[in-house]
Amino acid sequence: MRMRKYLALTRAGIIESLQFRLSFVVMVIGNLLYLIVVYFLWKAIYASAGTDVVSGMTFSDTLIYLVLATALYNFMEMYAVWEIGRNIQTGKIVLDLLKPMEYRKLLFWSYSGTFVMQFLFTFLPTFIVVAIVTHGAIPMGINLLFFGLSVIIAVSINYSIDYIVGTICLYTESIWGINIMKQVIVLLLSGATVPIAFFPEPLKTIVHYLPFQSIYNAPLSLLLDADPQPQKVLTTLGIQLFWCVSMMILSKAFWKASLRQITVNGG
Amino acid sequence: MKRKGLCFYLRIYRKILAQDLKSKMSYRADFIISTLGMIFTNISGFVGFWILFRNFPSINGWSYYEMLFLYGFSLVSITPVQCMFDNNWSLRQQVYSGDFIKYCFRPINLFFYYQSEVFDIKGLGQLAFGIGTIAYSWCHIDIAFTPLALLKLIVFIITASLIMIALQNAAAASCFWIQNSFYVLDLAFRFKDYAKYPITIFSSVFRFIFTFIVPIAFIAYYPSLVILRPDEVPILSWLSPIIGVAFFFVSYKIWMHGAMKYNGTGS
Amino acid sequence: MAIIDIKNVTKEFKVLNRREGLKGSLKDMFSRNYKTVRAVDNISMSIEQGEIVGYLGPNGAGKSTTIKMMTGVLEPTSGEILVNGCVPYKNRTRNAQNIGVVFGQRSQLWWALPLIESFKLLKDIYQISDSDYESMMSLYQSLVDIEPLLHKPVRQMSLGQRTLSDILAAFLHDPKIVFLDEPTIGLDVSMKAKIRTLIHALNKEKKTTVILTTHDMGDVDALCRRIVIIDHGKMLYDNDIEHLKSFFGSYRTLKIRVDGELEKQTQAIQNQFPDFSVSADEEEEWISVLVDEEKQKVLDVLSQLQKTHRVKDMQLEEISTEEVIKKIYEEGVQ
Repeated sequence: MRMRKYLALTRAGIIESLQFRLSFVVMVIGNLLYLIVVYFLWKAIYASAGTDVVSGMTFSDTLIYLVLATALYNFMEMYAVWEIGRNIQTGKIVLDLLKPMEYRKLLFWSYSGTFVMQFLFTFLPTFIVVAIVTHGAIPMGINLLFFGLSVIIAVSINYSIDYIVGTICLYTESIWGINIMKQVIVLLLSGATVPIAFFPEPLKTIVHYLPFQSIYNAPLSLLLDADPQPQKVLTTLGIQLFWCVSMMILSKAFWKASLRQITVNGG
Repeated sequence: MKRKGLCFYLRIYRKILAQDLKSKMSYRADFIISTLGMIFTNISGFVGFWILFRNFPSINGWSYYEMLFLYGFSLVSITPVQCMFDNNWSLRQQVYSGDFIKYCFRPINLFFYYQSEVFDIKGLGQLAFGIGTIAYSWCHIDIAFTPLALLKLIVFIITASLIMIALQNAAAASCFWIQNSFYVLDLAFRFKDYAKYPITIFSSVFRFIFTFIVPIAFIAYYPSLVILRPDEVPILSWLSPIIGVAFFFVSYKIWMHGAMKYNGTGS
Repeated sequence: MAIIDIKNVTKEFKVLNRREGLKGSLKDMFSRNYKTVRAVDNISMSIEQGEIVGYLGPNGAGKSTTIKMMTGVLEPTSGEILVNGCVPYKNRTRNAQNIGVVFGQRSQLWWALPLIESFKLLKDIYQISDSDYESMMSLYQSLVDIEPLLHKPVRQMSLGQRTLSDILAAFLHDPKIVFLDEPTIGLDVSMKAKIRTLIHALNKEKKTTVILTTHDMGDVDALCRRIVIIDHGKMLYDNDIEHLKSFFGSYRTLKIRVDGELEKQTQAIQNQFPDFSVSADEEEEWISVLVDEEKQKVLDVLSQLQKTHRVKDMQLEEISTEEVIKKIYEEGVQ
C-alpha cells in the first residue's frame, strides 16, 4: 500500500509530460542532431587514425557507446538541482517539507513519471534503432539483464549526486553556478562525452576511483560485453553498488545536517 | 516627446548595466561560484577536446591547432549571447507566471527593455578563455598576424555572434507559443557545441542542412575561414555578416510578435 | 474631451479545452479542441481627466483584459478605444509615456536596485526634465516618509513598502492616467490607509486620472465617487456609488451582538431568516442581517430576534458598499 502514493506521483508526472507534446518533438530533433554530429565527427577521427581500432574500441563500438550514453543521459537527467534550488529560493521548500513524505523521495517520485516517458520515448527507440542499424553489434544475451540492473543502480547514484549538489543550494544562492559545475564534471568524468577508454592513462586511473564512471561507463561496458565473465560483471556491479550505498548515505546525512540552514534563512 | 534614437538606448543600457554590476557585487558568493562554474565548463570543454584530438595530427585536413582556433572562435562568438541576452533563459518562467506583463508598460522598446535587465558578467571569463585559445593556436598556425587580419577577425566574430543570438532569441520566443519551451532553448544552446567542428566532416546533405536550415556553420566555421584559409574563402563566408544581421532581425521580429501574441491570451 | 473613451469594445480569446485523466491527456496529444471565450463583451465608457474610477467585478470578470486594452498591450477584437486621443494598441510606446501602471503584487522596479536608482533610470526612460523630477521628488517628500526607502533595494522591502514604491514610480513621470490593479492587496490596515491617502493626494495635486481595480471596498469608499462594475465581460453598472445605493433604498443593515458562539449564532439566525443574508464580523463580533424592508420591517426582525437570542447591543445602518457589490455580483442590477 505504501507504494501506492508513490505510483500516484508517477501517474501525475506522465499526464503532465503528455501535455507537452511539442517538447518531445524538440527533444527528438535535438538528439538526432547530436547523433549526426557525433557520427560524422568520429567517422572523421577514425578515418584520420588510419586504423580500425583506436584505444581498443572499433568505430561501431564507439558510436554505440556514445549514442546510448546520450540516450541514458537524456533519460537520467532530472534537473533535480534546479528544482531544489528554485524551491529553496522561492521558499516553497517549507511547504514540501510539511508533506507526509521524505523530501528526497517526494522529489524522486514526482520525477518518476518523466522517467517512464523518457525511457519509452527516447531510450527505447534509440536502443532499437541502434540495434537494427548496427546489425547485431549489440550482443543480445544475459548482458541485457546486467545492463538493466546496472542502469537502475546508476539512476540511484545519479540522483544522490544531484541531491548532494542540490543541498549545497541551501548554503549559496548560486543555483546556476553549482548546477553547471556538477553537469560538466559528471559528463566529462563519467565518460558520457568521450569514452573513458580514450582517456590518457593517469586520468583513467583517477576516474576509476571516482563515482562518476559508475553512472554511464559501467552500464554501457556491461552492455557491450558479448562474453561477460562472471568475475568482471560482479566487480563492476559491486563497485556500482558500493557507490550507490555510500552516495545515498552521504546525501541523506548532508541533507539532514543542512536542514538547519533553512530555518536560518527564514524560508 | 523627444525622439528615441540609438543614443537614447545606448545611454539607458549603459546606466542599467552600471547599476546591475553594482548590485551583482553584493551577491559575492553567487558571483564567485558562477565564475568558478564558468571556468570549470571551459576547462572541461578543453580537456574533452584535448583527449579527443591529441592523438591525431590532423582530422579531415584540419590540423590540431586549426581545430583549436575554431574552438576558440566559437567560444568568443557565443560570449555576447551569454552576456547580453541571458534574460532569455528566464523568459519562460516570466511568461508562465504572468510576470512578463510588467515589461509592457514602459515607453521604450519591449525587447530592449527586457534584455537590458540582465547582464551576465561571468560570460566575460569565457571571452578571456576564448581569446587565449585563439592567440595560442594562432601562434602555431602558419598565418601572419596583421592588423588587417585582426580587424577581419573582430568583424567576423561579431557577425558570427549575431547568428547565435538570433537562434537563442527565436528559441526563447517559442515559450510564447508552447508551454514547455525549456527543451527548445536548451537545444539552441547546445548548437554551440556542434558549431566548433569544421563542416567538411559532414556528408553533403548535412553540410547543406547545417548551412541553410539550421545555420550553425555560421557560428564559427564560415566566418573563421576568412582567417584560416585566406586563399580559398567561399562566398558564404563573405556573406556571413549579412546573414548574421538578417537572422538577428528576423529573430527580433519573431520575439516581438510572440510577446504581443502572448499578451493576447490573457491571464 | 474625455481622457479615456471606450466604445463597444469586445475581446475574445481562444482557449484550449483539456481533457481529463490519463486517457484524456493521450487524446490531447493528437487532437486538440479550442473554444472561444468572450472576456469583454460590448463595453462602452468615457472617463474625464482627474476622475478616480473604481473598476469592480468578481475574479475573471474581464477587468484585467480591459486594462490591458487601455494600456495598449492588447488589441480589442472589435470596438474603439481612445486614450488621450490616440489608439493605445497602435501606439503602445507613445501611450506608455502618458500612463502609469501598478499591477498587483508584481513590482515593476529593478529588483536588486535601491529605489533611488530605479527612479533615476525611470527619469531617463521617461525623459523627465531635471526640474520636473526635482519638484516631483519634493512633492513625494511632503506626502510620505520616503527617505528610509530611497536607499533600500526593492528585494529587501516589505510588501507595503514595495507597493508604496511602485505607486510612487508609476506617478513619477506625471502621467495623465494611472492604472492601479489591487494596490492594497495583502496589506495591513495602517498601510492600506497610508496608500489610500497617497493616491488621493496625488490625484488632487496632479489631476491624474486613476483607474482602480480592487476587491477591497474600503479602497472604493475612500477613493472613488464613480464605479464601473462588470461581470462575465458585460457592463453591469456605471455611475455614482450613492446612486447605486439608492437602488437598494429599502435595505437596512441590522447589526447585533448576542451571547454565545459567534459562528453558531450566525448560522442559527441565517436559518431563522432564510430570505436575508447574514454575516459575521469576527473582529468586532457583530452579526449583520441585511434586511429588505419591503419584505419585513427591521423592528419586526429585531423583536423576533429578541425572542430567541439575548441581544446585548444593536446598530442600524444603511446598506454598505460591500453589500451592494455583493448583491450585484449575485443578482445583477434590474
